[in-house]
Amino acid sequence: MRNVELEISTKTLTIALLGNPNCGKSTVFNQLTGLRQKVGNFPGVTVDKKLGKLALANGQTATLIDLPGTYNLYPTSQDERVVLNILANPEDEFYPDAIIYIADVTQLEKHFLLFSQVKDLGIPMVLALNMSDAAAAQNITYDTNAIAKAFNVPTVAISGRMGDNFEGLNAAINQLITQPFKASTPFYQFSSFEKAISEKIQEKHQLANPFHALLWAQNATRLTFLPSEARSEISRLVKDHNFNRLANQVREVMQRFDRFTPMLKKTVQRTDTNQISLTERIDDIVTHRVWGPLIFFAFMLIVFQAIYAWSAFPMDMIEAGFAGLTETVNTLLPDTWYRSLLTDGIIAGLGGILIFIPQIAILFLLISILEEVGYMARAVFMFDNVMQRFGMNGRSIVALVSSGACAIPAVMSTRTISNWKERLITILVAPFISCSARIPVYTVLIGFVVPSATIWGIFNQQGLAFMGLYIVSIIAALGSAWVFKKILKTEERSFLMLELPEYRMPVFKNVLLNVYEKVKTFTIEAGKVIFVISIVLWLLASYGPSNKMELAEKEAITFATQNNLDADATADLVAGKQIEASYAGHLGKFIEPAIRPLGYDWKIGIALITSFAAREVFIGTMATIYSIGSTDDEGTIRDRMAKEVNPVTGKPIYNFATSLSLLVFYIFAMMCMSTLAVVKRETGGWKWPIIQFLFMTILAYLGAFLVYQIFS
Amino acid sequence: MIDLNALEPGKSATIQSFSDEETACKMMSMGILPGSTVKLVRKAPFGGAIYIKADNQQFAIRNKEAACVMLS
Repeated sequence: MRNVELEISTKTLTIALLGNPNCGKSTVFNQLTGLRQKVGNFPGVTVDKKLGKLALANGQTATLIDLPGTYNLYPTSQDERVVLNILANPEDEFYPDAIIYIADVTQLEKHFLLFSQVKDLGIPMVLALNMSDAAAAQNITYDTNAIAKAFNVPTVAISGRMGDNFEGLNAAINQLITQPFKASTPFYQFSSFEKAISEKIQEKHQLANPFHALLWAQNATRLTFLPSEARSEISRLVKDHNFNRLANQVREVMQRFDRFTPMLKKTVQRTDTNQISLTERIDDIVTHRVWGPLIFFAFMLIVFQAIYAWSAFPMDMIEAGFAGLTETVNTLLPDTWYRSLLTDGIIAGLGGILIFIPQIAILFLLISILEEVGYMARAVFMFDNVMQRFGMNGRSIVALVSSGACAIPAVMSTRTISNWKERLITILVAPFISCSARIPVYTVLIGFVVPSATIWGIFNQQGLAFMGLYIVSIIAALGSAWVFKKILKTEERSFLMLELPEYRMPVFKNVLLNVYEKVKTFTIEAGKVIFVISIVLWLLASYGPSNKMELAEKEAITFATQNNLDADATADLVAGKQIEASYAGHLGKFIEPAIRPLGYDWKIGIALITSFAAREVFIGTMATIYSIGSTDDEGTIRDRMAKEVNPVTGKPIYNFATSLSLLVFYIFAMMCMSTLAVVKRETGGWKWPIIQFLFMTILAYLGAFLVYQIFS
Repeated sequence: MIDLNALEPGKSATIQSFSDEETACKMMSMGILPGSTVKLVRKAPFGGAIYIKADNQQFAIRNKEAACVMLS
């Protein structure tokens, strides 16, 4: 057996938290680590890897890892595979030296399956009977010492929610890692099939115990740490031995339950009441055929309203703060390239990151509360059927609704969807839903398409058109989800076997830590990408080939002096001429042939390029190009755009066809680098954001092309 | 023998077996075992899934999975 004492002196100990979903593991993790935690991804997959520090009695610090919740070691989802690949691989960097197994003491039998499996792996373990407070409330009594003795494992009763008896848990951990560990006799008795195959594997790969070998036999194809030859060799063994994996799994699970259930019956007493619990009474209403969906949409309305309205004030503050900062820098520094880099590049880039924080914080505050309370599982239950048709999950609705405010928190919120395909589809289509950044663009353009008249005396035509844009965006999201459902292949069989946990009061520490962690991750991980792209966009708009920018400036100033323009008008004119001469301007002209079939000129081309930073930048760029200064007034810009005529035909540029084509383009196009940055982070690479960018842009192009060709 | 889908909302029955091993393994790991009493609490508002109660615990499962749960 592994000599634990020896390892203490040579390396940092790794202690893992393990347990079933809903065992209260995260609460215990937060209690043990507080803010001393770091959240990342496990390599190759986007499953949360939560690490923390745990101070030991001997003065050392152990690494505490919160493993994803799982019911057994035969995974059917990504998170469960992560657990298997750590526990089946003693070479893994996170292979635990000791495990704190968290079991919900009010449902002990169910929580003992995984416990008994891990015990057979021979890893030193402390059993923490969690939710002692709930057990007391439900009149469940249990004998901690008897459980410890029966299963030969140090056992403590704790309450993560109340923070009860963590000193007892700490003492048990310290004792476990300082005493030499001796694995107890295996809990599970192998069938002859299992014996034959596991002996071969154990011998060949020098594994510590037979159950370890059995896990390899059972999960051969899923062990990503093994070289592929080793995997196919084990698969061959499985075939040669006529080893029926599923039948043996069922047999194993049965046998384990048959063994520990009587043992637990002796130590746990519950006064079985046939009383209808509070949870059931709540569910009678919130999962009701009619009231259930209505209540859900009421919640979603609150979520949408909250991200949309509550974030307005802090967002304005952030914007005003950065505007003030820019102004201060402008007065302190001379007009040089580095002042421009600082204000238009760096400060604008940082502002562009921080502006999203209020929306992210508010959405995760609400989602975490709904998740903590136990409501989200009910939403999944109610909408599973509807969302399955589009390859998504009940939780996807929350993401799609949030997208109506902003796709960034929406994409981040998909982490709780455990099926990878369902999660990916949700991420891919969420940005179609019209977000708040599209509103200024729509506001400016809609006036060119629809007159501001009323129909039947009540409906404003522009209002109806607005609604139409939203409906088109929803159809685009669901339609493309349906297409992705057909295209994307997955090995995972789709299951819905979801525990509907008892309703509980949220633990606010968990909620706040979650909000904090999401905001931090966004600011750092996505922030990096957003920042770099901001600088690139700044370079494109501020510099031009050779000395064209200076020539443009001189020309503009000469023109201004000849026409007696005032200082502001001159500055606006210079800015307009400069952007035309910049790389962005050249790019705009370069892509003009490609966008002419959509009805756009090079000026619109420039705005398309710069608004990749964020859609609302379209307005600002238009203002600069038409030399009307950086005004926030959409009316002024619209008036100026209305006057713009095509130099060849002499007709207005923003006619019905072009404006409608632009509207269609902005509904579909992925004009948001921040969303792409978040998609990169959430899918673990550039593959999916690039695919997403391409198909959204192609759809936007085709849609705009069709509309323009039909109506022009 | 009937499967879980045939149960009327509000009614209970005893699980006899599972007709599919993968489903069996998953259900049993969640504590839904042969011999457990299972109650079909209600059907999902838009169909496709059911809300069940087994061994003092509530679960949501799809009709597809419920079809593998044989009642005695």
